[in-house]
Amino acid sequence: MRETKPPQRIVQQSLALDTYLSTLLDEIPETVEVEEKRKPVAKPADKPLEAPVQRLIVEQPLLRPLQNELVALEKPAKSQPLSIMPEWAQHEFQALFFKVEHLILATPLTELSRTIKIDRKPGKIPGQPSWFMGLLDENDSRIGVLDTGQLLFGKLRGSQRDLETNPFKSILITRDKRWGLACDEILSIGKLMPDKVRWRTSRQRKPWLIGTVIEELTAIIDLQELVPHRKRKT
Amino acid sequence: MSEDRKQSDPIMQWVTFCLGDEKYGINVMQVQEVLRITEIAPVPGAPSYVLGIINLRGNVVTVIDTRNRFGLPSKEPDDAARVVIIETEKHIIGILVDSVAEVVEMRASEIETAPNVGNEESSKYIQGVTSRDNKLLILVDLNRFLSEDEKAELDMF
Repeated sequence: MRETKPPQRIVQQSLALDTYLSTLLDEIPETVEVEEKRKPVAKPADKPLEAPVQRLIVEQPLLRPLQNELVALEKPAKSQPLSIMPEWAQHEFQALFFKVEHLILATPLTELSRTIKIDRKPGKIPGQPSWFMGLLDENDSRIGVLDTGQLLFGKLRGSQRDLETNPFKSILITRDKRWGLACDEILSIGKLMPDKVRWRTSRQRKPWLIGTVIEELTAIIDLQELVPHRKRKT
Repeated sequence: MSEDRKQSDPIMQWVTFCLGDEKYGINVMQVQEVLRITEIAPVPGAPSYVLGIINLRGNVVTVIDTRNRFGLPSKEPDDAARVVIIETEKHIIGILVDSVAEVVEMRASEIETAPNVGNEESSKYIQGVTSRDNKLLILVDLNRFLSEDEKAELDMF
């Protein structure tokens, strides 16, 4: 009789989530650009749940960090660092789920004023970075429209998108109505409980990535950290 | 209109021109004349933003490639293209634009500071933005259109 392997399970779920999101969001290093073109990065939209988790278990390089984590687990887990969390993240909140390329993201409704369909091109201002798509007049507000793909994935990967042939469809407008985040699709609104979210304990790198909805592997974005701060000319 | 408002919120006139999909405005007081496209003689070794020079009634005027300056793709000038002769603090230069639109009036209070999210240097010639006919109008500060080094370079032509 053939011996069947026991089902694989995630040893350290939080590490798995962090690694999964890091894989999705990391800017592609120039040295692997050619390879990446041949074999695109994981497509969460096709197989959002199973593929990355399985890879975490079977790939050799990740075994060592997982073992280290197991040793660390003997100590009581430190509570979440609420001091670095925005106020909205400390209790149940409603979030808007949206899509940028193949990545599903969420951000609290309280950080948004409204969403609009893109029906005209933003006015491009010379001399601005490529992730700044331009200004859009909308209901007496002048909104700076941002290429969310470039902000999330970095210039190298984000700017590979041809916005003429593959334009963004919608814009999320921030609470202060100063910024608009271009996205591909607005999905839904849902309630999120803080205990269903794996919150990041350090936000030194990618401070806008505040946590992950555990069940859906959805990145929660802190818009205040993602949008630039307009500099006033002297 | 009260004298107070005239002083605190003056009306300014702007010559508007088009480049690609965008409309720009420059202070009418700095515009000397608008020319149809004429023969522009290239200058060997000139920087990429210099198209060349023209003879304007005996004076040599350097013509700037405004598309290049604004980071837009180059375009072969057509019948609508114009060279706008402008006067900056010390220089008279020509700027090649896709077309000249109109002269508009607006109050200073209608002008909003343009967001500067990137390199300060690269967009310092953008004076502000406003809306005209539901379209963005980008106002250009001609005195900052060229840096001091670039102005000095023009003196060599």
